[in-house]
Order: sequence, then structure tokens, then C-alpha cells
Amino acid sequence: MSERAVIYTLIFALYIGFMIWSVLKSLRQVESFSDFTTGGHRMGLILGVGTSVATWVSVASVMGVPGYLYRTGAAAIIGWVGGWFFCTAMQPLLAYKIRMPKVPMRTFPEFMRLRYEPGAERSQLQIIVALLMFVGYFIFTHLQVVGFGIVFNTITGIPYEYAIFGFLLILALTCSGGFWSVAASDTINSCLILGGLIVGAGAVLNATGGVGNIMEAIAATTAPVNEGGEPLPPGIMMTAAGSFGVGALFSIFLSNSFGSLVAPHWITRFMAPKNAKAAALQMMWTLIVLIPIFCCLITIGLGAKTLMPSLPVGKTTDYIMPLIMDSYAPPIVAAITLVALLAASVSTANSMLLNCSTSLFYDVYVALSGNKILNQAQATRRLRVCVFLLGVVAVISAIKPPLLLAMGFTYVYGAFGSIFFWAVILGVYSKKMNRQATYVTILVGLCTYLYGRITGNFTNPMLMSATFSLVALLITLKLTPPPPLEAYEAFFKADVSEPTMRTIRRIRHEEFSPEDMKPAEILGEPAKL
Amino acid sequence: MELAFIIWGCVIVSAIVFTIIACTVIEKSKVKRWGATGNLFKYE
Repeated sequence: MSERAVIYTLIFALYIGFMIWSVLKSLRQVESFSDFTTGGHRMGLILGVGTSVATWVSVASVMGVPGYLYRTGAAAIIGWVGGWFFCTAMQPLLAYKIRMPKVPMRTFPEFMRLRYEPGAERSQLQIIVALLMFVGYFIFTHLQVVGFGIVFNTITGIPYEYAIFGFLLILALTCSGGFWSVAASDTINSCLILGGLIVGAGAVLNATGGVGNIMEAIAATTAPVNEGGEPLPPGIMMTAAGSFGVGALFSIFLSNSFGSLVAPHWITRFMAPKNAKAAALQMMWTLIVLIPIFCCLITIGLGAKTLMPSLPVGKTTDYIMPLIMDSYAPPIVAAITLVALLAASVSTANSMLLNCSTSLFYDVYVALSGNKILNQAQATRRLRVCVFLLGVVAVISAIKPPLLLAMGFTYVYGAFGSIFFWAVILGVYSKKMNRQATYVTILVGLCTYLYGRITGNFTNPMLMSATFSLVALLITLKLTPPPPLEAYEAFFKADVSEPTMRTIRRIRHEEFSPEDMKPAEILGEPAKL
Repeated sequence: MELAFIIWGCVIVSAIVFTIIACTVIEKSKVKRWGATGNLFKYE
């Protein structure tokens, strides 16, 4: 075994040890089904920022973004970095509204049910949304497993097709504790990612001779992406649109910003903080923590073009990050960075799998079983099994990966934006948005997006679907009655009426308690009894 | 390349602006359960 391999194994073993410790510690926190799905709606700012950073920093960012920077240069900063940052910038405006209800919902489909079908015995909308979510999150999880396989292959030398099965080992650990376990390991992973990327970027700067050399090299390079491929036009990597063209880049930016803004896992994240202000502040601090992380990724992605002008034949640009670390960084630096990449894939996959399983088990299976009071222990146990089984399927699906990591995320975010954008935004900001208009916007958005993607007739499928679905929903709103008070009251008032609170408890499969009607305390006023 | 970094910078500034808007709404409501503390960025 070479010295590099020994160091890689040692750092990886330390990481696994740390994960086991954090999971065992967080297991004591699990009390109810709410704890398992959203941490019991009592998450503080530090843990909230840690878990949000780790969810943002997935393989699409730590491997896909350097890959696209390597492929197209500046365009990747606008399309992906700018798009995702703009999404995070807008999130405080959505987060505080979602967290306003005294008793928030636990999942995104449940939120849609309360907002649009509060009186239904069995909500069709909840089930439809859950199934759509399931498809999207399964693709996300699949992409994380692909990223994991690429890095695990670099660390251990085990062929990719077998390396992806290592994912199940870590998954079994982290998902055993549900949301708190995911949040705790996410926070550790966030620190690892930040540390790993800083040392990785330092190694790249050292190997290239600094930022000046990197800029000179990418301004002049014509080296093809893969050895023997078509040369790049001179200076293309410095132009804003790169090889995409302005229309296609704008489409990517929109999907990554407005599409990911309403991605269901973020809506679920906004339900977890202890209050509305914590939800808003959490996203601002998340963005601030992301700045150094993305500075490092940009350095590594652009620096890689200087160090390794073309990739070996058969390797996609997703391999650039591990390849550069393995070839140019000192063993200890490479080991820390590679473990950080693993951490990124594991933390996001955890989150996505939890969303995926919750939507399938809770929003489909439990919703179909009627409005019975939920057996908390049994539900949590079944959800754990569901998480692991879906992980197994995700690993099997990743044996032959069809998509580049960053682009795979963009497609799914585009779909989420096309389907849910108006339903979510108008759901918390307009009292007029109703059930009929939601069905119309989901249907028109989904069909237009799929048509645009499959036929390639639209340069910007998300913009087209958002426009068509807005027109359709405005017409529907004109023709249909306004929603009942129970549907929107909790998102606009601190003290809601008893029918609204009873509806919320029924949707959550819980008993109504007179305590629920205790009035909200107002700053500077004595508490009302 | 400069344009890319200018766009990124503007986006970062907009995050602070949007957070201030959200926190201002909460503070104006004075509802403690929503996180009103009397200080825009103070969190309890």
C-alpha cells in the first residue's frame, strides 16, 4: 500500500468514526415523528445554518461546478454559482412565511394540502405532489450516489461500479436517527467541506503559481475538454455566456434560482427552525458561509484547466476535482479534500432520501390510510426502513450514470420551478390563490416543461412554463371562488380561529388541544391567559 | 469574467436586503412567537 493510500484510508476511517459518534449522540434526540421529519420545529440558528450549508453543498456544487468551470469558464459562475446564490438570497422572504404558523406542517405535500385542500378527507393534491417530489428526489439521490462513487473510487481504487455500494454503509448510519441525525452529521460535514476546500484551493494556487497565472492560462487556452476532442475557441472561457449562448445560460440561471427557491426540501427546511425570524436569518448566514466555499470551488475549477488542460478520454468533467487533488495536492491535503467531497455527497443524499421517503411513506401511504391518529413510533420505524430501501435502489440506478452532476440538478430544479413556483409563492403571499388554480398551474407547468425539454423547442423551458401556468392560473382564479379561511389564515395571522387550528391538527394526524388556542405573546404587552 | 463576478456580488448584496425586509415585517408585528425581539437581527 502506498503512503498516499494509507493516508487516504486513515482520514476516511477518522471521518467514519466521527459520523458514528455524531449519530449515536443525536439518536437520543429522536422523540416523535415530527422530530424525525423536521426536528420538532425547534432548530436553532447554528444547527440550521450547518444543515442548510451542507444541503446546498452537494456533489453538484463541489464536483459539478468545478467541472463546468473547467468546461466553460465564467459562464458557470453566472449559471450555477449566481443562480444558486440568488435562490438563497430570496429564501428569507419565503422562509419566514412558511414558518409563521404556530403549528407548522411537516412535509411539503402536507403544506400543499393545508393551503389548498384543508377540508378534504383524503387529499389528492397531497398525493400528487408527493409522487412528483418522489421522482425529483430520487434523481437527486441518484446523482449524489454517482458523486460518491467517483470519489470513493479515487480514494480506494475500487472500481466505480462497486465503490457506489460503500454509500449504503454510511447511509445506514446517518439515516438511523432521522432529521436530527441528518442535521448533526450535516453540520460536521459543512465544517469538513469548508476546511477541505480551503486546503484544496491552497494546493491548486500553489501548484499553478497564483490567480494571475490561472487567468492568463484560461484566457489563452484552446485545449479541448477531453484529449483528442475539438479545440475550444480562443478566449471563450473568459466570456460571460461561454459555450452555452445567452439564451441557454439564462435558462440555467432561472432553473437554479427560481426553480430551486421552491424545491420541496427547502420548504421542509423552513419548517424546522424554532421561529420565523430564525428561518429568515438561517438562509442569510447560509449564504455568507457559502461565499468562501464557492471562492475555493472557482479557484479549483479554473486552476484545473491550467494544471490539466484536457481530461483523459472516458472521464467526464465531474472527475476533475478528485483527479486534480489526487495528482497535484500533497497526500494529507488531498485526503481531507476528498473526504470533504464524500461528506458533500453523503449529507445531501441523506437530506434528499429523507424527503423522498417521507413523501412516499407519510404523504402517500399514511394519507391514503385516512385521518387516523398516527402511531409515532411505528411511523418512524417504517420511515427508516423506507429511507434505506430507497438508498439501495438509488445505488443500483447509479451503476450507469446518464447525466453530468450539475446539469442533472438544473433539470430537476427547472421542473420543480415549473410545477410549484406559483403554487408556493402565491400560497403564502396571496389569500386569493385557491385549489383549482393550483391544479391548473401544476398541470400546465409540468406539461410545458416536459414538452420543452423533450422536444427542445424552447430555449428556456422553465420561463415558458412559468409564463403559461401564470396565465392559466389567473384565468382560473377569475372563474372560481376564493379559498376557505382555514386554507390561508395561519400564514397571515399569529392567532388563528379554532376551525383553522382543528384543521391543522387533523391534517397532522394529531388531537386538537385547548392549549393550541392560547393567544400569541406580543412584545411589550403582558402575556394573555 | 468581470461580469460574472459583478452579478455574483449583486446577488450577495440582495440577500442582505431581502433578509432585512423579512426581519422588519416580523419586528413590526411584535409577535414573540415569530421571533420579534425589538432588534432587527437579534434572535432568541
